[in-house]
Amino acid sequence: MRTSRRTSAIVMLSALAIAAAACGSSKSSGGNAASSTSGAAATTVAASATTAGNAATTAAPSGGATTTAAGGKLLSYDESAKCGQKGYDGSIAKIEAIDAVTVKFTMCQADVAFPSKVAFASFAISPSEYLDKAGTTAGGDLVNKPIGTGPYKLKAWDKGNQVILERNDDYWGTKAKAKTVTVRWQTEPAQRLVELQSGQADGIDNVGTDDFDKIKGDKTLQLLPRPALNVFYLGMNRDAAPFDKEEVRQAVGAAIDKQRLVDTFYPKGSTAASQFLPEAIPGYAKGFTDFTYNPDKAKQLLAAAGFPNGFEVNLSYRDKSRGYLPQPTPIATDIQAQLAKVGIKVTLDVQESTTLLDNAAAGKLPFHLLGWGADYPDATNFLDYHFGKGAKPQFGKGFDDIWKDLDQAGSNADPAKRDALYADAAKLIAQHAPMIPIANGGSAVAYKAEVKGGQASPLSSEQFAPMDNGKDQFNFLQNGEPGGLYCADETDGEALRVCEQINESLLGYEINGTKVVPSLADKYESSADLKEWTFHLHPGVKFHDGSALDANDVVRSWRVQWDAADPAHKGRTGEFSYFTSLFGGFLNPPPAK
Amino acid sequence: MTRFLIRRLLASIPVLLGIVVVTFVLARLLPGNPCVAELGEKATQAQCAQFNHREGLDKPIPVQLGKYLNKVAHADLGASFRQRRPVTTLLAERLPVTVELSIAALIIAVLIGIPLGVFAAYRHNTLADASAVVVANVGVSMPIFWLGLMLQYVFAVTLKRSPLGLPPSGRLDPGIIATPFFERWGVHANGVFRFVSRLLILNGILAWKWAIVGNALRHLVLPAVTLSTIPLAIIARMTRSSLLDTLGLDYVRTARAKGLGEFLVVIKHALRNALLPVVTIVGLQLGSLLGGAILTETIFNITGVGQTLYEAIGARDYSVVQGFTLVVAIGFVVLNLLTDIVYTVLDPRVRVT
Repeated sequence: MRTSRRTSAIVMLSALAIAAAACGSSKSSGGNAASSTSGAAATTVAASATTAGNAATTAAPSGGATTTAAGGKLLSYDESAKCGQKGYDGSIAKIEAIDAVTVKFTMCQADVAFPSKVAFASFAISPSEYLDKAGTTAGGDLVNKPIGTGPYKLKAWDKGNQVILERNDDYWGTKAKAKTVTVRWQTEPAQRLVELQSGQADGIDNVGTDDFDKIKGDKTLQLLPRPALNVFYLGMNRDAAPFDKEEVRQAVGAAIDKQRLVDTFYPKGSTAASQFLPEAIPGYAKGFTDFTYNPDKAKQLLAAAGFPNGFEVNLSYRDKSRGYLPQPTPIATDIQAQLAKVGIKVTLDVQESTTLLDNAAAGKLPFHLLGWGADYPDATNFLDYHFGKGAKPQFGKGFDDIWKDLDQAGSNADPAKRDALYADAAKLIAQHAPMIPIANGGSAVAYKAEVKGGQASPLSSEQFAPMDNGKDQFNFLQNGEPGGLYCADETDGEALRVCEQINESLLGYEINGTKVVPSLADKYESSADLKEWTFHLHPGVKFHDGSALDANDVVRSWRVQWDAADPAHKGRTGEFSYFTSLFGGFLNPPPAK
Repeated sequence: MTRFLIRRLLASIPVLLGIVVVTFVLARLLPGNPCVAELGEKATQAQCAQFNHREGLDKPIPVQLGKYLNKVAHADLGASFRQRRPVTTLLAERLPVTVELSIAALIIAVLIGIPLGVFAAYRHNTLADASAVVVANVGVSMPIFWLGLMLQYVFAVTLKRSPLGLPPSGRLDPGIIATPFFERWGVHANGVFRFVSRLLILNGILAWKWAIVGNALRHLVLPAVTLSTIPLAIIARMTRSSLLDTLGLDYVRTARAKGLGEFLVVIKHALRNALLPVVTIVGLQLGSLLGGAILTETIFNITGVGQTLYEAIGARDYSVVQGFTLVVAIGFVVLNLLTDIVYTVLDPRVRVT
């Protein structure tokens, strides 16, 4: 949607004002990303956001069109007026191509985690012409034959059998080692190991729990533990007695022997959770542990709360194995036994998976087992989602002091200050104990011993380009087949891992880590209020079809997801789940059913 | 014969209708939500409401059933939630895989099972007979999952560097895709030709790509042997017991009395009649193999009907579950019918009524 002339003039004047202010003040910026841990480093940048990187034009969009060096109109979509209004739940106000290599995002409110979200595979960039041509049919070529800028391009997708990728010899970055990569899938861990041992696979995902020692003992193989980005917890709703008493909640915390549960039921590489944030997430409070196993203290706390003989309660859970909860019923049974020792008599209440999720979100479960895996590696995805002001009533009424810390951390670009606020939040969460974090479920990836550059990404987004098995073809085996290869409309890791090899986002995550690093954007910077984020594209990047990457491709790729009325807003399912999950609602959302 | 065929086909309609209705209802009684299976457990209620409305899952079940039956009557089996492709397209891809595997397994079962049964019957009440019976019983009792894993471990891992080494899974080596034979001929085709092209061995022969044929055969050995154990045992036992009955008949005694050699008596005179019930068993086994190779397909990573059904059940992909179950049921009905017809051809004394 083109901006009106008046709105464009306001935007232009605002942009010039911000640029003028920026020249004389410090701004947050990333892009070199060497010290960024919370999405925005503290480097001062003097350059204007509207002029960096391109000499052809310095004007902000006017009427949505400014001629670039290439002669094309710059795209710009300004929906600022809709921020906070009825009918629009989204957090994006504006996306504009400032020039051919500069894109600016303006948010409705501060978003300190924006770089971390932008790096996510769902926001990969496609050629705007291809989006218009192939994106208008649900499940069409955009989903089955994606075009990107990545180190690999899609050679063939033999449905049901394998995806074959071939090296992009015109890649703008470091060329991939293997000429061809095949991605296949096998649901059974034992079978995945056999494939690795037989040599048919060079690497396998999600090593079976029982196979860790076997692989470690095999000199022809190597095991790479994957840092956990999940947490398993025991939730309590403070709106339901007896969990309305803080001493009761703290008693539960002291009654749980976390290490025993991890040692008995979890794969190697898993850890007892010392707080809600996993260690790999920036904001994790090093050295802090919320609860120490102490049944005597638990009994004292229960007595102080008026329950010297304990009480009876239902513990709701779902019998569905997850990374954070590999053996639901044995774990629930063990927790039941542990709580019985302090007088809490638990009746296990198994619920169907979706029912449990719905009930938990609605605040209907006084006592339940659940967990969380990262969508993007930022503390806001864990803490704000569960304990922030807008959190669902899963744990009952929120806590003002926790809200305050999270609000401040979410609008502060200084990583050190954010870390301090999150450390304080960890203490408050331990004090109020809306839930007891118990374990971070680990996993591992295994490769043949001769593979150099093997990875075990905490985000399960291994990059095949640097992996070298000394041959032309590298074979990887994962859990399942991708549903589609258009990352914007996929949610499962099986699809995201494959499409990340083909398509790239403005930013990326470091190999084997969660730190945000440059990708298609060489650098970025934000306004002091963390509402405006400007990205400068790497010059000379080409898509696999030979067309050049420019700012319009970025704007269009985002617009297609953002606007539910866009003809190319089709994808595979049409849900674009991660967009709504990370950025609120769509523009022009379909009527609620 | 024509009246028989028509009557049997008409009689199969209510059977198939019953299967469709039962599968439809059972699929929806499964706990779980296709929305969550498709969009992930972080899908919001609003997203699920949209999904359910789009897929027609928010309508009452009788309405959904009526719409589905109407579609089936027009040869439309719906589309997969997950793959966003027609179920018929998925069937065209996956059914040939299972057909190839099932036929290979059945060939092994027949080529080994019948001789084993003949041997056991001929050496009735000897150690050889007892051994053959034990082998047959072990075959029936052996868990397929365990057998498949053991075969993989022995031939794909332990013997991987020897001439006996075999690939552990898949239909072809990673990175190889078989070009459909008609494309080699320079022709664009669909339908039956595309179906045939998914039978890799036949496709390789028609395309004159012997390397592909060899590669496909090597990949087929372990899963076919695994899948053949149960039908092999059943065929061996049936052959043995049927031949024992036949060898006790008067005409066999007469043939021996006439001085015919034992080989001629058993193979030429007795076996032909003894094989009649075995033909029935073979036909029924093919039907059950087509629908029930889930474990073998999962172990050996062969994306056929069984594995697709298993994944569809887990993903609550109702259309795929219903469509595939219906096609398997139709296959079973047709194979039953063909078995009866073959029986009458083999034994003119038998008349179909």
